[in-house]
Amino acid sequence: MLDISAVLEEIQASPYEEIVVSAPHSGEIIFPEKLFPGDEVFGPSGTWKEKDGDLLATLIRERNPQPILCPKKGEIVVVHRELHGTFVQAGTELIRLRHFLSREEVVRLILKRALHLFCAPERAKYYFIPSVDIKIKVSGPNVVTIRDGEEIFIMSRMKRETPLRYSGPEGVIYAVYFSHAQNVDAGQPLIGVCPPYMVKQVEEVVMRVQTEWKVRE
Amino acid sequence: MNYACHKVMVANRGEIAVRIVQACAKLGLDFVCIYTAEDAASGHVRLAREAGGTKRLYRVSSYHDANELLAVADDAKATAIHPGYGFFAEDYRFARRVSRRENKLIFIGPSWRVIRELGDKINTKRLARSLGVPTVPGSDKPIYDEMEAEKIARSLFEFQRQQDIERPLVLVKASAGGGGMGIEEVHDIDLFRSVYRRIRNYAVRHFKDEGVLIEQRIRDFNHLEVQILAERGCANVVHFGTRNCSIQSIGLQKRIEVAPGFDSASINYRFDADKVLEDITRHSLTMARKVRYDNVGTWEWIVTREGNPYLMEVNTRIQVENGVSAAISRIKGQRGVDIIAEQIRTALGEPLGYAQNDISFEGMGIEYRIIAEDPDNRFAPWVGRIESFGWGHEDWLTMHTHVPVDTCYDIPTEFDPNLALGIVWGKNLYEMRDRGSRFLTSLTLKGGSIANEELKSNVAFLLRKTEDVLLF
Repeated sequence: MLDISAVLEEIQASPYEEIVVSAPHSGEIIFPEKLFPGDEVFGPSGTWKEKDGDLLATLIRERNPQPILCPKKGEIVVVHRELHGTFVQAGTELIRLRHFLSREEVVRLILKRALHLFCAPERAKYYFIPSVDIKIKVSGPNVVTIRDGEEIFIMSRMKRETPLRYSGPEGVIYAVYFSHAQNVDAGQPLIGVCPPYMVKQVEEVVMRVQTEWKVRE
Repeated sequence: MNYACHKVMVANRGEIAVRIVQACAKLGLDFVCIYTAEDAASGHVRLAREAGGTKRLYRVSSYHDANELLAVADDAKATAIHPGYGFFAEDYRFARRVSRRENKLIFIGPSWRVIRELGDKINTKRLARSLGVPTVPGSDKPIYDEMEAEKIARSLFEFQRQQDIERPLVLVKASAGGGGMGIEEVHDIDLFRSVYRRIRNYAVRHFKDEGVLIEQRIRDFNHLEVQILAERGCANVVHFGTRNCSIQSIGLQKRIEVAPGFDSASINYRFDADKVLEDITRHSLTMARKVRYDNVGTWEWIVTREGNPYLMEVNTRIQVENGVSAAISRIKGQRGVDIIAEQIRTALGEPLGYAQNDISFEGMGIEYRIIAEDPDNRFAPWVGRIESFGWGHEDWLTMHTHVPVDTCYDIPTEFDPNLALGIVWGKNLYEMRDRGSRFLTSLTLKGGSIANEELKSNVAFLLRKTEDVLLF
């Protein structure tokens, strides 16, 4: 049984997530003039996240400038200004920021420890089978109940796709930890499943985080 | 620009990137390599690092991103770009962009016009027919009319009956499709119309073009190739012989290639094999001259059991199996032919420096594609860590690999699990097969997966198939 109080205390001791913003591809990097450590920056906002996050940098290749936007609200810790105006390679660290965890993120973190995690057997790209994918896209994952041995994933690697069966207790898909066309390493969780006997505990996690977690203004 | 002043960007990965780097080193040319995060442990990265540190190496997000490749080329001050095979090798738009942009680069491959002309299979077929080059019987243009389609199908069934083919088959395929999409075969003219309609609807849905091609489905054939090399301006076109690539996986991917394409000295064919090789070589050269071909290319043929050759397509790039042709070729009597180096040299504007009469052939060559896969399970790729990889060094063996032999290597899941190419030379078919078997049995290839599954490879399959090479 998960000790929710202990986990909450542990998260409260360091309520931050450190986000490293890297160059998504090679190109010449330009930082805005006014961007310094300590500055507060904002991620996308609006009901549908329709408003972009703050501009952190611009990456230019073949005369095409690509804005690099702030992914989440946070505080700038490091700006690698020494790279300004230089050609950087894909994956180069550009900015580091500290993000204060929101209630939803804390719930997600705790549930990752509580739920039954079904993990990737191999490094590959994973997709839900079309019938499950549609349900999740329309109504969210919580409407999909899965059983042991049920084929719910397509594993794609080396240009080949193979079906993958779920193994574990029957339950509702409570969390999805992978995204479209992204590689998932072996052993990393794909989904978190909530069996019926765990529903009460999950509800308690949500309730306690809602009441006990103080959102930073 | 002086040829030696060029800097080549290697826009590819793995074994072909290693070979391009080696060819550049042989020619005294500077180079720059790219790699993605998944390929950090690949041999081509190590080679580039050893040759010149990070200045010769750029990490990119993808090998498919043209903007990124060109930005890297500019930063590295490259003057030419070698696409290898796959990725941008047969993309005429990329070749055109490279040669037309402000910072012009030399595309190491045929000119974009040639790629465009021969990249279109229908166009290639039409061109071939206009030159009297045999192609697979069937339409040489997309068919949009159902009556016309049925008429062609009837004539193809009739043609096959006249040839005493036991089970005539007609292939119906979406003309705009590729890679096996939108293809069905029909064995009965009464079923043709429904298949035709199905493919036409599929073509409209997927390609927004209802054009359909109708061809004879040829079974029981050998897959042959002719290796062509032409200098810029097409002033001098030569060939480096033929290859037989008939041993393939169930997905029709080549696994063993043998040069030359037939061996009439050791095998009795129903037809005059030497004449077939001469014919396909002559036809390939005729087409190359007609389109003013200006770099390396491969003319791909199918030869039926009766000895009828049909042109399938032209691959306007260097191919994986170029090394097996090089193994049996001699230029002015000299061994050590490197077709990739010849490709680079001619692309940079150097004249060939020899004619067809200077090229001779000696012995036979066999190339094995060593792949981590399970031939007993539909050649499913195997993923895991290679713990040991080694082979005996022989003067008749050439190995091309990007897999390090002194450290463990995790096979990236983003690409095909090709590990190495082993090219074996022998003075005749028997010696070649014997040496090939010796090479494969002496090969060390061990590893395991996260699930503790032992490494699976196609080595036993290659060994078994060595006895069958060049047979129908």
